[in-house]
Amino acid sequence: MNSATVTLSSEADVNLTPAEAFGRFGRRDDAGWMFRARCHRVAPGYAVAIDLPGGCDAQVLGRLRVVLPGREIVIEHDQPWRGQLRIKFERTGMAQTRVRFRAQVPSEGIEWLARHRGASLPTPAPTGARRVGLLTSKSGSGAVYSMAAEYMAQLAVEQANASGGVDHRPVELLIADDATDHLQARRETVRLIEAGCQAIFACVTSASFGAAAAAAEAYDVLMVHPVINEGGMEAKRVIRFGERPEAQMGTLSRIVERETGGNRWFLVGQRYSWSFGAHRAAAKILDASGSRVVAQRFTSLGTREFAPIIDSIRASGADVVMSSLVGADEVAFQQQAYEAGLRDLASRVSLVMDECTLEHVGPAAGNGIWTALNYFQSVSNPGNTELLQAYREHFGPWAPPLSSLSTNMYEAIRQYLELAALHPDAAPSQLAADWRTRKSDRDSVGQRNMATQRLYLARAEEDVIRVLDEVVA
Amino acid sequence: MVRPSTESLAFDALSDGVRRQILAILSDHGECTVSEITERIDSVGRTTVSSHLRVLRTSGVVQERKVGRYRYVRLDADGSVREALDFLQRIMTQAADELSASAVTAEPQESFEETLAVG
Repeated sequence: MNSATVTLSSEADVNLTPAEAFGRFGRRDDAGWMFRARCHRVAPGYAVAIDLPGGCDAQVLGRLRVVLPGREIVIEHDQPWRGQLRIKFERTGMAQTRVRFRAQVPSEGIEWLARHRGASLPTPAPTGARRVGLLTSKSGSGAVYSMAAEYMAQLAVEQANASGGVDHRPVELLIADDATDHLQARRETVRLIEAGCQAIFACVTSASFGAAAAAAEAYDVLMVHPVINEGGMEAKRVIRFGERPEAQMGTLSRIVERETGGNRWFLVGQRYSWSFGAHRAAAKILDASGSRVVAQRFTSLGTREFAPIIDSIRASGADVVMSSLVGADEVAFQQQAYEAGLRDLASRVSLVMDECTLEHVGPAAGNGIWTALNYFQSVSNPGNTELLQAYREHFGPWAPPLSSLSTNMYEAIRQYLELAALHPDAAPSQLAADWRTRKSDRDSVGQRNMATQRLYLARAEEDVIRVLDEVVA
Repeated sequence: MVRPSTESLAFDALSDGVRRQILAILSDHGECTVSEITERIDSVGRTTVSSHLRVLRTSGVVQERKVGRYRYVRLDADGSVREALDFLQRIMTQAADELSASAVTAEPQESFEETLAVG
């Protein structure tokens, strides 16, 4: 990534020893600092989340890279932009420490912040490249699961360009943040289209994708939603791939009932199309298998306080809790459910427990959660080792883990560009039709048939997701 | 002791609903005259719009040019970038302030002696 970087700094002199000042980082009480930075352990490699102040509704999400107790903390972060935050502790007296903060912010970060605060920046001038858009969530609840999707989109485009681009033209990726908000998704979609994008790939909620697809209706643009969704909305220029809740629940209900004997389900979700569809599918499948839904609750996207719902779960007598919550909401729910001791009362199923989300849920709260998605880092498909290697070579060891969402994004952009290279002048609707009927029984990651519902049944074990079985629905 | 922050009026420029509405109009329609902006805002009159424009101009979010009797207003991308940088600087300073406050209000925690690791 070539971009100018600015360095910002500040410092504070505090009446604490360096070890004391350091020891307060990551604390959850009033002594915590750095905007109540949250991490499960202050040690290298652990995920960290910091709420940006100033009404941003955005989190700095990344990992601790360097931890020298009493001396230095370095955070490499990926959301809302890729940057670095360095905190140094220097003893200046018996119980006095100078703490220096230094942030490296690339031009992409400045641009994101300016847009996020309402500025209208100029559209990048045409470059002669074939433009594709990525609509992703760099802020709001969805930022947690979208982290690697942007990198994998970049990787797919870089690989296409290394192979000659499309019709002897390079491919250029333009990125927009929907802020996990459907109105923002609509605005940013129009911006991407007006910048000349011929196809837009979305790693966003179904609410955002619905708004984006509606905004794109008046234009001749292909809209692709390659990540987990409830289905529907497809049209001549609108394609949706990804896991579907019917297939997920068919697999998950069988294993959970067999392994735990649980058959009284409590469903928790958000008040929009994804959870509505997922819960309908769940109720149908559970009814057919002789289990039942004892209660369900829907909450607004962006909820961080789940005590009332956890009380309802306790009162319901449920022995299985299925969550269709996504992103930061799911992180908050699983952590609060764990702290409330729900793990001892009920088995937990999560429809969107990918590696990025689990990293922020943490090993203790995540342990034992069942899930089913079409990719995990540990799958043994051909091409997976090479893909992981290419990802780490491009984005380094501190980049977020790959997940089904980011891998689906990679496969979708790669397959679209292959089709576009074969038919460079084809209309978006023609490319969509070709893609839907594309025959591929290849198992290699990147080449998999996206229309096939392939799932891996898995369970979180501490901080990894262990694949237990492969299912073709 | 906290290093003085880079004070910026721009930090607060977007906190007002009318100012955000003005920016949305300029974003949708490009450069507009003050009269055109006023026509599109029902909630307040021309004088109030002018005072909001002054705040936006002072903070570097919009630029103005005069042609005869008309004042033309447009978004200033460079100003937005300055505003974003000021905002970030404010956050950095706030982080330092927060640590200073934490040192005053809370009991110290146990020390860490061991070096964990370096990435």
